[in-house]
Order: sequence, then structure tokens, then C-alpha cells
Amino acid sequence: MPLEPATRDEIAVLARRAGLNLSAEHFDQLVDAYGHLEQMLGRIRRARSYADEPAHIFAPSKFQPGGDKR
Amino acid sequence: MTGELHFLTIAEAARLIERRELSPVELTGAYLARIAALDDQLHSFVTLTADLARSRAKAAEAEIVRDGPRGRLHGVPFCLKDIVETAGIRTTGQSKILADHVPAHDAVVAAKLHAAGGVLLGKTATWEFAHGGPSWDVLFPPAHNPWNTDHHPAGSSSGSGAAVAAGLAPATIGSDTGGSIRGPAAACGIAGLKPTYGLVSRRGVLPNCFSHDHVGPLAWTSEDVAILLSIVAGHDPQDPGSADVPDQDYTAGIGGGVAGKIVGVPWRWLEDEAPLKPETRAGFDAALAVFGDLGAEIRPIELPTLQAYNDAKKVIAMAELFSIHEKDLRTRPELFGASLRYRIIAGGLIRAEDYVQATRLRRDLALAMQQVLTAVDLILLPTGEPAGKLEPVPHSSLFTGASLTTPFNVGGNPALSVCSGFAANGMPLSLQIVGRLFDDAGVLRAGHAYEQATPWRGRRPDLHPAAADRAAE
Repeated sequence: MPLEPATRDEIAVLARRAGLNLSAEHFDQLVDAYGHLEQMLGRIRRARSYADEPAHIFAPSKFQPGGDKR
Repeated sequence: MTGELHFLTIAEAARLIERRELSPVELTGAYLARIAALDDQLHSFVTLTADLARSRAKAAEAEIVRDGPRGRLHGVPFCLKDIVETAGIRTTGQSKILADHVPAHDAVVAAKLHAAGGVLLGKTATWEFAHGGPSWDVLFPPAHNPWNTDHHPAGSSSGSGAAVAAGLAPATIGSDTGGSIRGPAAACGIAGLKPTYGLVSRRGVLPNCFSHDHVGPLAWTSEDVAILLSIVAGHDPQDPGSADVPDQDYTAGIGGGVAGKIVGVPWRWLEDEAPLKPETRAGFDAALAVFGDLGAEIRPIELPTLQAYNDAKKVIAMAELFSIHEKDLRTRPELFGASLRYRIIAGGLIRAEDYVQATRLRRDLALAMQQVLTAVDLILLPTGEPAGKLEPVPHSSLFTGASLTTPFNVGGNPALSVCSGFAANGMPLSLQIVGRLFDDAGVLRAGHAYEQATPWRGRRPDLHPAAADRAAE
């Protein structure tokens, strides 16, 4: 499900929201890198059921004082 | 004791030390002399702890004379990738950001190696924060490959791989988030294990990507890797990713062979998605034949695409890396090397939804990996192509290449790289051996069986002091 590639102006907005205040050189790097990221994001988006859980879930026993006793 | 002490394996040195035929002081001195003579060609060490090493070697010798060795690393030197924190010793991650970072505490792995009586020689070169490289604009120059110093030793545990192959240290610890133990092991013709996720504590090791980071050993042989894993593995309640599994001696049963084992080969990856160069394919076919001769049954297997594994990992990693470095990226981005900055800065633009979708995909991919490993005992494939020239690469290469190592970070499976011969230009070929979760012993057993059946452990890089050094002698 690829989306339209972001424009430089849109990337500038996203960068500001991320708290990045980049030189022209570093912004050019960001634009180039973001192009590669967008392609990956397009490939990982797929139809999913509500119940498709992520790989990283919260395991409360990990935070038991003294460690996981199970 | 005379001869090439620097090429002793850990197992050999331990036997000699136990029989009082080798002194830890003498052994440490041999490595320090070799580092002094050769490392200006390799840049494998970024910090040398020579005085500390001599002092610890003397202490180890006294302990061994008094009580005997308390294990196979007692009195044996080792080095650590410079992302492993060491109390009182600078730990930089090869980054200008941490140029003056002197930790107060040892990482868990460092503490365990010290407790086992190992002798720290120093800290070894890495790609910046184990992710961006090779780089010439960071704190130290990149390491070179001892088989040909015009070639790279891969990354990110680059100095660790180079140092062991060159006989500058017999043991080291690296980290592997997408292949950073196995890549340098392959490029430098040594053995390197990415253990099962959670088997070795990451506490005190500078993070790359929390959910994919693995800490593990590199050495000349699989047996040596097993010795090191036996020391550094173990549950750490303070590492949330640590697995609570029983400690074990990974050298026990290492000679058990692979007869009767079922070995899977992901041919579609190797023929369609990331076709091997002819020389690499020939080396891999020969390695499969060795496993067949040893009694293993070879079968094709089908896994999800390499691209899916790489996409899921890279999206997750970029988001986690940005979160780790966000303050410095916002306030002093110029201190990062261009390679690392390029590879992580877009992570700040990833939406929470996309991070979660990537972790949902990871679950599918990890489940598929474990399902395949219910039908086969091991997976075999090359670790990668032989190392090329050390030269700048496009920063985007991390996004455009299809890694053969990353899928096993996504799955969390144990994966060992061993030397499987040499290309016509003398650079090492590699074989990757992957196993079921927590069957690290089975993977090491297979690596040992392969090494015992092949002549590759008998060949070492041919390094000599530079001409200027020889003239000065």
C-alpha cells in the first residue's frame, strides 16, 4: 500500500515536528534517507485483523523485583 | 614455551596454562608485542590497556600457581568491542559524541570475563554506535582486514574480527543487530556467534536497537566460541530482554557431530533474491557436500522473503535508534559521522503506527522462522560475499542491500559464522549455521564438526611489520 512520496516541504514539516533543526546539507541527507524509508514503509503496510499482535508485548513478570521467577 | 603463542586457540592456551607449560604473563606479552608490531596496519584497537593487562596477567599467574586455573579463560587475554562499557576505561562507540566517556561500571559481559580470569588487552574498533560505517569522519579510523589490508573487515564488530584473525587476541566480544558479529567473522575468516536473543545480557553495552541487539563471542574456532559463551551467557534480571534459561557448558558434547541432522537451505533467497557470486556458490555447495559426508540430510526450505525480514528490522531499528540518539540529533547532529546520521535521522519521522506495523510483521516473520525449524534441525547459507575493498560506500547501502544475516536477528535464532574456504584473491568465504531458539549448543556442534572436517583452520593471515618499523629495528 504505497503512499504518495512526501515532498521536501512535507518532510520539512515532519522534521520540525521531530524537533530537528538541520543545516541544508543535513536536510538533504534526511530527504534522501526518507525516500528509502518510505519504500520500506509502503512494503510493511498490509491488511491485518484486529487481533494481530505485535512481536513486542509487555511481560509484567520481567519487572518483578528479583527477576522473572516463572 | 616458544613458537607462535599468538596463534594459540583459547582451548590450546588453557591446556598449556593448566599444565604450567605456559605463563599468562608470557602469553599476554606475546599479544602486546604483536599488537605493537602490526596494529598500525589494521587499526583494530582503539584503546590499548597494556599496563592493566600486564598487571592482570601477573595476578592470574599467581592465582594459578597457588590454586590452579578456575576455568579455561583464566590467564588468557581478550578484547572488547568499544561499545562494551568498561569501568575506568574509555568506551566511545567510535563516536565523537562519547569521546570522553569513561564508564563507572563494567558491562555484565565484561565483568563475567574478568571474573573468569581473562586478561583485557583493550577495546576494539566498531562502526559508530555499531551502526554507521565504514567511516573516516568519526573518532577513530576504520579497521582493516588482516587477509588483505586494502580490504574491509565488515562491520560493525570490525576491530574484533580483525584482531582475532591477525593473532592480536584469541577472544573477543561483539554485538549483532543485523549481522555485526557474523559479518566481521565471515570477512576475517573466524568464528562468530550471534546467540539466541536474550541468552547473553546486553546490560552495559551501548544499544543499537533494543529489540534486535545481541551480544556474543568471536574467536578462531567454534570450540573457542563455545568456551566464551559458557562464560558470558546467563540470566540477568536487570536486562528486560534476558531469558531465564539454565546455564550450561556449551563445550560439552561439542564433538557430537551432525550425523542424522536435517539441514535446510533457503534456495530462493540464494538464487532469486540475493543471488550468490559463482565463487561463493561453489564454496557453499562444497560446504553442503561436507555436511552430507558427515551424515546430515540436506533439504530445501521456504521462508518469507529476505526483503520482508530486512524491511521489518530496519523500520524498527530506525525508530529505536532515533529514540536513543534524539537529543544529540536535535542539538549537535554535526558530531555524528555522516554514515550514522544518514541511517538514523529519518527514524524521527516514523509514525507510531508504522513502528507497530513493523513489529506486527516481525511477529509473522519470527513465527515463520520457528515453524520451518520444526521440520529441520539447522539452516545453512553463506554469511555473505567475501570482503571487498575498504572504501566509502553509499550511506543508503544499508537500505538497498538484502542482508543474509538480518532474518535471524528478526527471529532471534542462534546463528554462527565459520570460515568455509578462500576465494581466488585470498579473502575468506563463509558459512552461516542457524539453529532453533536456545539450541546454541547444536549450532556450535555443527560448526565444530565442519571445522574438524575441513582444512581452513590451518591457514592464517600473513602479516609482517611495516617496512619503516623493520628499518628502525
